[in-house]
Amino acid sequence: MKRRGRGIACMWYPIGFTVAANPSAAVVKINEDGTATVLTGTVETGQGSLTVLGQIAAEELGIATDDVHVVSADTDATPMDTGAIASRTTYVTGNAVRLAAGKAKAILFEVAAPMLGVKPDQLEARDRKIQVKDYPQRNLALGEVANHAQVVMGQPPIGAASFNPATVALDPETGQGKPFSTYVYATQIAEVDVDDETGEVEVLRIVAAHDCGTAINPMLVEGQIEGGISMGVGFALQEEILFDDAGRQINPSFTNYIMPTSLDMPAIEVDIVKSFDPTGPFGAKGVGEPTAVPTAAAILNAIHNAVGVRITSLPATAEKVLAAIKAKRAQEPKRIAARARQPGS
Amino acid sequence: MARKTDIGEREQRVTQKTLHSVDETLRLPAVTPPVTYPIETLVPQVRQQTPAVGQRATRSDGRMHGLGQTRYIDDLAFPGMLYAKIKRAGIASARIKRIDTREAEAMPGVMAVLTGREIPVNSFGPSLKDQPVLADDRVFHAGDGVAAVAAVTEQIALEALDKIKVEYEPLPAVFDPLEALKDDAHKVHAPNSNVYATKIIKKGDIDKGFAASDRIFEGRFRTQMVEHVPLEPHATIAVWDPNGRVTIYSTLGRITLGRADVARTLKMPINRIRIIATIVGGNFGGKNEITQEPVLALLSKKTGRPVKGTFTRTEEFIATTTRHPIIMDYKTGVSKAGKILARKVRLVLDGGAYCSWSETTLGKACILAAGPYNIDNLLAEAFVVYTNKTMTGAMRGFGAPQVCFAYESHMDDIACALNIDPLDIRLLNAFEEGSSSPTGQVLQSVVVKDSLLQAAQRFGWKEARS
Repeated sequence: MKRRGRGIACMWYPIGFTVAANPSAAVVKINEDGTATVLTGTVETGQGSLTVLGQIAAEELGIATDDVHVVSADTDATPMDTGAIASRTTYVTGNAVRLAAGKAKAILFEVAAPMLGVKPDQLEARDRKIQVKDYPQRNLALGEVANHAQVVMGQPPIGAASFNPATVALDPETGQGKPFSTYVYATQIAEVDVDDETGEVEVLRIVAAHDCGTAINPMLVEGQIEGGISMGVGFALQEEILFDDAGRQINPSFTNYIMPTSLDMPAIEVDIVKSFDPTGPFGAKGVGEPTAVPTAAAILNAIHNAVGVRITSLPATAEKVLAAIKAKRAQEPKRIAARARQPGS
Repeated sequence: MARKTDIGEREQRVTQKTLHSVDETLRLPAVTPPVTYPIETLVPQVRQQTPAVGQRATRSDGRMHGLGQTRYIDDLAFPGMLYAKIKRAGIASARIKRIDTREAEAMPGVMAVLTGREIPVNSFGPSLKDQPVLADDRVFHAGDGVAAVAAVTEQIALEALDKIKVEYEPLPAVFDPLEALKDDAHKVHAPNSNVYATKIIKKGDIDKGFAASDRIFEGRFRTQMVEHVPLEPHATIAVWDPNGRVTIYSTLGRITLGRADVARTLKMPINRIRIIATIVGGNFGGKNEITQEPVLALLSKKTGRPVKGTFTRTEEFIATTTRHPIIMDYKTGVSKAGKILARKVRLVLDGGAYCSWSETTLGKACILAAGPYNIDNLLAEAFVVYTNKTMTGAMRGFGAPQVCFAYESHMDDIACALNIDPLDIRLLNAFEEGSSSPTGQVLQSVVVKDSLLQAAQRFGWKEARS
């Protein structure tokens, strides 16, 4: 019969490389009409990072997401970037984009200050306008200033900047040091049904509460979490590369390497935990990798909760779970007899 | 409506053509069909709003994806483009005695054959440069490439691979990481030890901590090797131009470092190499280093034509990096109330045939192995060993999913034995703002307890308790 169980797992995960320098550089160009172009050497690998980088530039410049076009991933045209790795794009490349946008914005402020009769440090960029802080009625359209800067003043508003997370090397003897600039935290709770006659595990529901600092784009954070969970489900229950005695893979195809499909996916409920990291762009940290970290642990704890067996090696295939259930029954003859007398209890 | 019908009809025709008449392996350069959808920019309102941060803005590439117009590498074609295929060793440990390419080179349609000896600097790797682009002297795992062919069609290239004769002298091999640790084990990269990196984190005094503990728990946990399985396989097009510059379109997730690696292997100045990554169809860590890029560049140089290479799904499994299997031994001392007083962790990572991103994985796994918990007395040691298997490297989480499976399973075993709710034991031990990490770092923006409580509330953890 099917037995229900629930399991909890929490985790911590760092943003960026372990001690090693992993800089990103960025260039932001404000066009004559107040739209902007971002140059970045990072690569969009499906996670939506270019959209997030565009939002960061837009926020710094006080314009909308759609006003920013992001050019990426061409070594002839874009500045260096350590790349789409280590959950670092939002934090590291995001910081570089924000700093570069700030430099371009400073040129606009220089140009706008005499037009508005104030000093540059009294200005802010909001809602596609450059306005006086605490006196927003005095403002100019950002596009007007950008055009004036380039066409009249001969000062094209362009900014370039780079960012590298602050770390401290680890002591080789004790491992003490500051390997990462910041970390994120998360908890996932899984609910499963385990068939104690076949060992089959069905993941019914996963609740995921993830910290990513400020969610630059909550929809993309949710997408990352759902994708990470699908990877975690495969890691927990199905996926395994197998070798023959001669060290050759025996299941290198989708026929025999089983991974979750949409039908294997549980219902997923996502909570974004409120937090703010002062070192991240607008308080953001990252979310890419951590989403796949606690899923397997939560599912395995749920299996333990459901049928009382601890699977200590992944994946928890039906065969493995059933063998563990049988081994447990063999050790507890009395409980089996009691259950047999009361079917369905 | 009429337009919709057009698309439907065209798709049907294409499908039938594919099914009945076109040999899939021929793969002639694609011709873009005429556009039949309305070209207009429908900007969702949320992308027009300020402030931009915090908006559920739709992706800037969403419309292209939705219309099927995103061009991945395999969708690109250049005039005169050739197709490359790489011959895989199929033997895990051997010396290459001879490679005979003459018969393959004589085949009509084969434009060039390349072996490892023709690669100017035949080694690469993000930390240790222990991986050959194409195996020249030794084979270290069954997925090693030993030769490559560029031909006018993929089918001819595949047939040519069969005509390449490689003579091997089989050598001893080791596949189990614990076996590989032993002194008398076969040395994968002789004469050095199979352990190629270690990491240690020491905090407090674990002997004192265990002595002060009411209960001590031990457990061994193991994880398996898995693949990233991106939908888009590794794909590259190399175009060597008459000026001696090479442009490489590639599914790399890290173009700056990819360019440096290509420059090193080809012994070329960096400014003569251009790498363009289009939209990449999934990375998850598997596309963080070069694979076939130098091979295709040299084939393009030899033939004077653009050369495309797309990995098969099998190559994705056998010839790219995978996730480290880890054997994880945990020993934890706790008070009666469930407070962790001491923890000892020993991790053995199966590194496969080459280092790749093992040093990073080793470091992260070791640092994270204690879990998000305040533990004053800690010893975590980690080793990564060579085996004659598919190399393990960067994969989403760099060792964290493995150690999380171990420390959280272990945590539940402790909670169960002490009859404490799994949520409560975690709240009792979890980091707080300003906690000291295993490496002594003062942590900021720590919300692990918030995440526990928020998830528990959403799940109904306390209500569901039985």
